[in-house]
Amino acid sequence: MKPVNLTVKAALLSLAVLIAGVSSFAGDIKGKVSVQGLKSAANIAVYVDAISDKKFDVPSQHVVVDQKKMEFIPRVVVILQGTTVDFTNSDPVGHNVYWPSISGNKKLTHNLGTWPKGEKKSFQFNDLGVASLLCNVHPEMSGYVVVVATPYFAVTDNDGNYEIKNVPAGKYTLKTWSEDGKPTTQSVDVSGSGATADLTVKK
Amino acid sequence: MKSRVLNTSMMASLTAVVVVLWVMLASVPKTSAIPAFSRKYGTSCTTCHNNYPELNDFGEAFKKNGFKFPKDDETFVKQDPVMLGSKAQKEAFPEAVYPGQIPGSVPISFRYSGFFNWNAHQPAAAVQPNGPYPYVPRTDLFAPNTLTMIAAGSFGENLSFWIDDDISTGGSGAAGGLGDGYLKYNDLGRFFHLPTNALNVRFGQFELDLPFTQARTIYLSDFDIYDQVGFGGVQGTANNPFTLGAPQRAIEFGGYPNNGNFAWSVAIVNGANDGPALRGQKDVYVRASYKFNLERDPESRHAIQAAGPTGPRDHTSLRVGGFYYYGTNVQNNGSTVPLPFAGVPSFTEPFYRVGGDLRFKYRKLEILALGMVGHDSNHIYDGTVDPPTLTKAHPVTYTGGFVAGNYWIYPWLIATMRYDFVNSPSDFANGVSQYQTRNRFSPGFQILVRANIKLTGEYQYHWAQPYPNPNDTATNLFFRPSTFVTGIDYSF
Repeated sequence: MKPVNLTVKAALLSLAVLIAGVSSFAGDIKGKVSVQGLKSAANIAVYVDAISDKKFDVPSQHVVVDQKKMEFIPRVVVILQGTTVDFTNSDPVGHNVYWPSISGNKKLTHNLGTWPKGEKKSFQFNDLGVASLLCNVHPEMSGYVVVVATPYFAVTDNDGNYEIKNVPAGKYTLKTWSEDGKPTTQSVDVSGSGATADLTVKK
Repeated sequence: MKSRVLNTSMMASLTAVVVVLWVMLASVPKTSAIPAFSRKYGTSCTTCHNNYPELNDFGEAFKKNGFKFPKDDETFVKQDPVMLGSKAQKEAFPEAVYPGQIPGSVPISFRYSGFFNWNAHQPAAAVQPNGPYPYVPRTDLFAPNTLTMIAAGSFGENLSFWIDDDISTGGSGAAGGLGDGYLKYNDLGRFFHLPTNALNVRFGQFELDLPFTQARTIYLSDFDIYDQVGFGGVQGTANNPFTLGAPQRAIEFGGYPNNGNFAWSVAIVNGANDGPALRGQKDVYVRASYKFNLERDPESRHAIQAAGPTGPRDHTSLRVGGFYYYGTNVQNNGSTVPLPFAGVPSFTEPFYRVGGDLRFKYRKLEILALGMVGHDSNHIYDGTVDPPTLTKAHPVTYTGGFVAGNYWIYPWLIATMRYDFVNSPSDFANGVSQYQTRNRFSPGFQILVRANIKLTGEYQYHWAQPYPNPNDTATNLFFRPSTFVTGIDYSF
């Protein structure tokens, strides 16, 4: 039997240590959002608040918000500050996208104009807060872009469940945003195996 | 054993009644058609009504909240409203139309009622053409026979509406036309930092904030005092057609802070502003009441309804209140031609109505009482002199009210009893009744065959009315036009 090459052994050992190390330094935050006085726990943004002295690179990949059957899809999208959102139109009618403010700051209002099916308009969101997406052709349409300071976020499903992946170990502040409910805040301690945090959103 | 032999005709009638009752109680299919609010929330009429249209405590809170559930309304709605603009459009205002909403389905309900009447025998000398009264048949099937359309609901958080229209002819209450038709803004007071629902406003046509509703009463007959008018007749010119029970065109400010225990309202009213009563002056109506919640258990006291052994029930409570109506009747202003009083200019006859009321609730028993005073200015017109003269005369006044009791033998079987009285010297002088005080006793029953179907009955022991004595026209004889009314009432 030939002896195993020492270099290969060392490489394999290093890889094992690396994998173990990564696992011990990041986990998923999972949980369920319950509501009081609200009709549904769906479409609630859950995110890790800003981490002091920590900046994140702007992702190169764009996020897409479509307009289809007179709805913004997805209705609620959470993005890292600086992300570009592509607004597409899949309806056979012209749509418009504008927001009157970002978290009440009317100086940040913006109107992307109106465009037909198949075209898109893009916008880079550099300011933290919530932009209420409206269409001035169809007043019943609404959507939300929630701009946050970290890349650790999720949107609840129809049952209020959420999962934020690959959050480095540490102590954080978890926050929620919802259309009709009050914001909530909760501390969470993430270990290598992740964390579970259930929250309650009230009207 | 001796058997009692019944008259054949009576036996047939009794059998018919029993058959009808049996059919209605036993085999009426469970209705899948429910009125507008039942449809919106997917709940039975009995959630808000203890004997429709009378409201229980929850129904009162629902109505006061602009026809929405008092708490967490959105979570109970089964038919989502249609958004007239997304909620986020509020941010865009005034650059966009402020968003609103309309009910998800057309919020229309219908209510039908038809009655069998048995009327006391009229003496021949009392009936036209021999006497003063129109002929009334001994029995009458399905009269009045009314179909009412009701549309009500909310347009979002703060706006609510109500429209009811008697779309049949000859109906009671709305008399074949629009009853209430109004728009209400709830919680206007929040702009002035007042407590919730301390200040609301509604405008349109509606029944005033009366101590006891006549438009939506459970009784089959009007409250006599509500229908009383100020009429001088032989005593003078007073001719005021205003009745407290009629719907009014008005703007009303009101509120119910303190969990609805205190209620107040002030209304600017058009008054009896039709036909000969047409005038420019506006009337005013004010009312205030306080409900003493007598529940001992604090949790029950603060809940919308108290906790009973088998389910929620109304609070034990005593509500006391007062009301005042002031208006000005104008005569000879050209609303009627030829002028009723030739040779004199138009003149005003101010009037007022003032009264107090109480309502006591304890478990299955409810007691209502109201007392009222009416006062109309009056003149004496003499057209025999030249020029004709108009002099102030003793005012036309009256007092009256009613006392009533309702008892829920079962949640579906209610016994009612009411006593009405009106003391009107001018009516007595004008030959309306045998005595100055007119009394009426009205025992009755209500059977909720289903939550939306009622079998009702009421016997009205009427006051004695005069008619000329055929043997001595200088004197009067008297008869009581009593009546028994029974019939069906259903909504969908």
